[in-house]
Amino acid sequence: MASADMKDIKRRIKSVSSTMQITKAMELVASSKLRKAKERAESATLFFETLYETMREITAENSTFRSIYYNNREVKTVMMIVIAGDRGLAGGYNTNALKLAQRKIDEAAQKSDVVVIPIGKKAVEYFEKRSYRVVAKYECIAENIRMNAAKEIGAKIMASFKNGNVDKVELIYTDYVSPLVQEARHKEIIPLESVSDKKHRDVQTSYEPSAEQLFDLIIPQYIAGVLYGTIADSFASEQAARRIAMENASDNADEMISNLSLLYNRARQSTITQEITEIVSGASAQE
Amino acid sequence: MSEYRLQIITPEKTFFDQNTERLIVRTTDGEMGILANHESFVGALPSGPVKVMIDGKYREAAISQGVIKVSKEKTVIIAEAIEWADEIDIEWAKRSADEARERINSKKSDKELRFAELKLKRALNRINVSGRK
Repeated sequence: MASADMKDIKRRIKSVSSTMQITKAMELVASSKLRKAKERAESATLFFETLYETMREITAENSTFRSIYYNNREVKTVMMIVIAGDRGLAGGYNTNALKLAQRKIDEAAQKSDVVVIPIGKKAVEYFEKRSYRVVAKYECIAENIRMNAAKEIGAKIMASFKNGNVDKVELIYTDYVSPLVQEARHKEIIPLESVSDKKHRDVQTSYEPSAEQLFDLIIPQYIAGVLYGTIADSFASEQAARRIAMENASDNADEMISNLSLLYNRARQSTITQEITEIVSGASAQE
Repeated sequence: MSEYRLQIITPEKTFFDQNTERLIVRTTDGEMGILANHESFVGALPSGPVKVMIDGKYREAAISQGVIKVSKEKTVIIAEAIEWADEIDIEWAKRSADEARERINSKKSDKELRFAELKLKRALNRINVSGRK
């Protein structure tokens, strides 16, 4: 009986250690990808923040500002852009982003229609399965996001905003706070009335062309910048989340293996003890 | 001559972050030079050349759509892409100009036409700035 036990344990050790090999490899891949993704997210943030500052200043210094992308209007349809990963096994990354998205969509759905643009396979699957109105979808673009791709998405969003198909655009993404902390966030992109910095300013800035024209010129860049930045940020978060999840999995596997080897050694010892007892008792019976 | 801090930022990286004496950009209304203590200014930059004075010599770069913001502390150029003239991949720029022309000729929708035109402008700008035809 004991030898059957030993065989069983041995098989389990083998299967756990092969799982551990996979999780270890995934951990390494994630941490090397994380390094690259983090750099990109950081420079994208700088770009975006400077643009954002500029937008705020333009709107702040011009109290009678008028642009369709700026002024709030009656909201009949909300567009929700949801950024999640292309792959699973990243701890709570996808779940957290999708949970927040679902909550915000439910909130918005009480007052208006909701259309969704999922970015990332997991988000696409989620919203298609629940038969939401998906107006566009993007898969596998996060890892090598280019400004051009972001611009294309941005152009699509702006077109539907301009046509009046949507009256408000919101975004769900995951903010990379630190290697250990990633938070799902919600952001309103258009209209921009909420971004304006209403503080009074003394600086008189000159604009070329006029502030309003300039605003409309910058806005495609701004939106592309937001998308680029949040996608890069989310990708870094995904890698960080995966790295941690895989690290935990490897640790757990390690612990399981050491428990199982203890069991295995005990079983082995008890078989040996039993064998000796049998031999000794057999010998003494012959005397 | 006094210097001021100039930053050129793209989504991919901080392209330039140094002091300079003089900068020449082409805005939607024409060329302008910026010296230290310039008034606060924000302007749109279409695809065009930018000249930055470094150690008494101008260095030229090709910019693809951006914004320039001059304030008391520093001047910032935010651009989608920018390359120094001597680092432009001329073959690639020519190819993309041809591609854009082809797209313009194939007469697609208005939106695609506009995109193609912008693409052509960017490519031609790169070719011009690099000075090698």
